[in-house]
Amino acid sequence: MFLALKEMRRAKGRFGLLIAAIGMLVFLILFQQSLQNGLLTSFVGAIRNQSAPVLVYSVDGQRVIQGSIITPDLEAEVRADGAVGAVGRIGQGTFTVSAGGEAADATVLGYEDRALGAPTALTEGRYPDVAGEAVGSDADADDGFGIGDTVLVQPGGLAITIVGLARDVQLNAGPTLFVPYETYVSAVRSVNPDAGQPLPNVLAVQPADGRSADDAVASINSRSDELDALTRDDAADETPGVAQVRQSFTIIFLLYGLVVPCVTGLFFLIITFQKSGALTLLRAIGAPAERLVGSLLFQAVLIVVAGYAIGLALYTPVSQQRLGGIPLRFETGAVLFWAVALLVLGVGSSLIAARRVLAIDPIEATRGGANR
Amino acid sequence: MNASASSSATPALHMVGVRKVYRVGDEEVVALDHADLTVAADEIVALVGPSGSGKTTLCSIAGGILSATAGSVVVGGEEISGYNDRQLTTFRQNQVGFVFQTVNLVPFLTARENLLVVDEMGRREGKPARARADRLLEELGLADRAQNLPGQLSGGQKQRVAIGRSLMNEPGLVLFDEPTSALDTELGAHVMELIRTEMKARGTSAIVVTHDERITEYCDRTVRITDGVLEA
Repeated sequence: MFLALKEMRRAKGRFGLLIAAIGMLVFLILFQQSLQNGLLTSFVGAIRNQSAPVLVYSVDGQRVIQGSIITPDLEAEVRADGAVGAVGRIGQGTFTVSAGGEAADATVLGYEDRALGAPTALTEGRYPDVAGEAVGSDADADDGFGIGDTVLVQPGGLAITIVGLARDVQLNAGPTLFVPYETYVSAVRSVNPDAGQPLPNVLAVQPADGRSADDAVASINSRSDELDALTRDDAADETPGVAQVRQSFTIIFLLYGLVVPCVTGLFFLIITFQKSGALTLLRAIGAPAERLVGSLLFQAVLIVVAGYAIGLALYTPVSQQRLGGIPLRFETGAVLFWAVALLVLGVGSSLIAARRVLAIDPIEATRGGANR
Repeated sequence: MNASASSSATPALHMVGVRKVYRVGDEEVVALDHADLTVAADEIVALVGPSGSGKTTLCSIAGGILSATAGSVVVGGEEISGYNDRQLTTFRQNQVGFVFQTVNLVPFLTARENLLVVDEMGRREGKPARARADRLLEELGLADRAQNLPGQLSGGQKQRVAIGRSLMNEPGLVLFDEPTSALDTELGAHVMELIRTEMKARGTSAIVVTHDERITEYCDRTVRITDGVLEA
C-alpha cells in the first residue's frame, strides 16, 4: 500500500479528478434511481399499495382503470368464479377540485370494502367512516390535501374531507383521494347530474379460501375473453407507460454501468503506461509483480469507494426532496446494489492495466525502459 | 575465456561457461559466448566493451534479470542459473543492487522513499530500514534532499540516490550499468569516486559496465568483452 498511497498523495489532482468524476456518476445513478422509483410510484402507487390482491379489468380498458368498464354480466361472471372470494367494486374518475383555495385535478378512487381497494396502511389519521370522507396521499398534504382539509368537487361543489393520509398512493402523478364507493358515485353525479348509476371501472377480488391470487387470476381469465384479471403487482407494472419508463431508465443505467468501468479502466491504463518506467525499474530491483498489481487494485478500490462516498453525500440530501410533484426517496437497495456493482466493475476494468503490469519484463530497465 | 580474480575468499560472482542465445526468427544470435568470470569479494571490476558487445547481457545475467541459456552462475555462493522468475525476483530483492544506465528513480517518490521502496517491496524491516536509508542519504551527502522528489534533484544527486537505493538491501554485489553516461566528465568522476568509496567501505563487490576507458581508473580490475566473448 506504500506505493499506492504515496502515488495518490503526489498526484492529488489526477486522482482527485477521477474520484470527483466517479462521485458525479454515482450521484447521477442514484438520483435517477430515486427519480425512476418516484415517477413510477406517483403513476401507479395507488394500485400497488391498495388492499385488493387481484384487480379485474375489462379487456377494452387496456389495463387503465378509468378506461375499463365492468358490465353487470362481467361482474356476474367474476362473482360466480369458484376461485374468487369477496368482490368489491372500484370506480375511478378525474375531477377538478378546489383545494386550499386553488383549482387542481384530482383522482377519486371509490371502493366498496376497505379490504378491497383502500390503501393498505395509513401514515396518519383514520379511514373514512362515513360518506364524504377520504384518505389522501401524504405527498399532496401540503397542497390543500392534508388531514382536516376539505376539497370541493367542481362543478357541483361536493365536499370531501380528508381524514387520513397514506404513503405512495398517488395515481397518474397527481392528488389522489380514496373514498367510499357512494362518495365516488356522488362525485360523478355532482359533475354530471344525469350520470345515473355509474358502472364500476374494475373489480377488486379477494381469492377464495385456500386459493392464491395467481389461481384467481388464471380462473377469472379462463372464464371470459372480455375479462382481464391481474395480481396487484402485475396491475401496477402493466399499466400503460410503466414498462416504457422502466425500460428507458434501464438503458440509462446500463450506459452508466458502462461509463464507470470505462473511465476507471482507461484511467488506470493511461496511468500504467505513464509510469511503466517506474514499474519496470521496480520489477528490476526485485518488486514482485503481484505486489505491484495489488497496489494498482488497492488504488482502484480506494477510488471507487471515495467516489461512491462523494456521490452518496450528494445524493442523500437530494433524495429527501420533491421534484415537481414527484417525491424522491433514499433508495437503500439501490445504494447497496450500485456500491457492489460499481466496485466490481471498477476493479474489474482495472484488471486490464494489471495485465500490463504482469507483462512487464524487468530486462527493459537495462534498455532505458525505466525512463520511458 | 576466463577472467579470474586473485582473491581466495568466497567470490561475489562466479560464472562458468555462461552462454546467452537469442532467437530472432529462424536465426540464433549469440549475445554471450561461454563466458567465465569471477569477481572476488570487495573487488570492483570494470567491464569494458563497445556498444552491443554483450556487457549489459552479462551484467543482467549476473543480477538475475536475465537467465543464461547455458552455464553456471553463482552469486555470493548461491547458484541462480536454474532459478525460475519468482526465485530470481526474490534473489534480486535480497542479493544484488542495481544502478542502471540512466537516472532511474520512481518519480512520485522522494529521495528517501526511493530508498525505502526496496524494503517495502522486499524484506519489510520497517524501522531498521528507515534508519539505514537515513544513514545512506547522510553518507551520500543527500540528507537535506531526503524529502525532494527526483524532479527536484540534479543529475548527480539523482545518481547518488540511485547508488543509495542499490545499497539498501545490503547486497554482496552491485551492478552499475554505464553509471556516468548521463553525466559530464567532472560529475562522472565524482560519482565514480563515490562508488569506489561506498563499495570499499562496505566490502561490497561491484561490476561497472562502461565503454569509457577513464572509468577503469576507479576499478580494481578491467575485463574486456567483444562480440559476447570475454578477453582473458
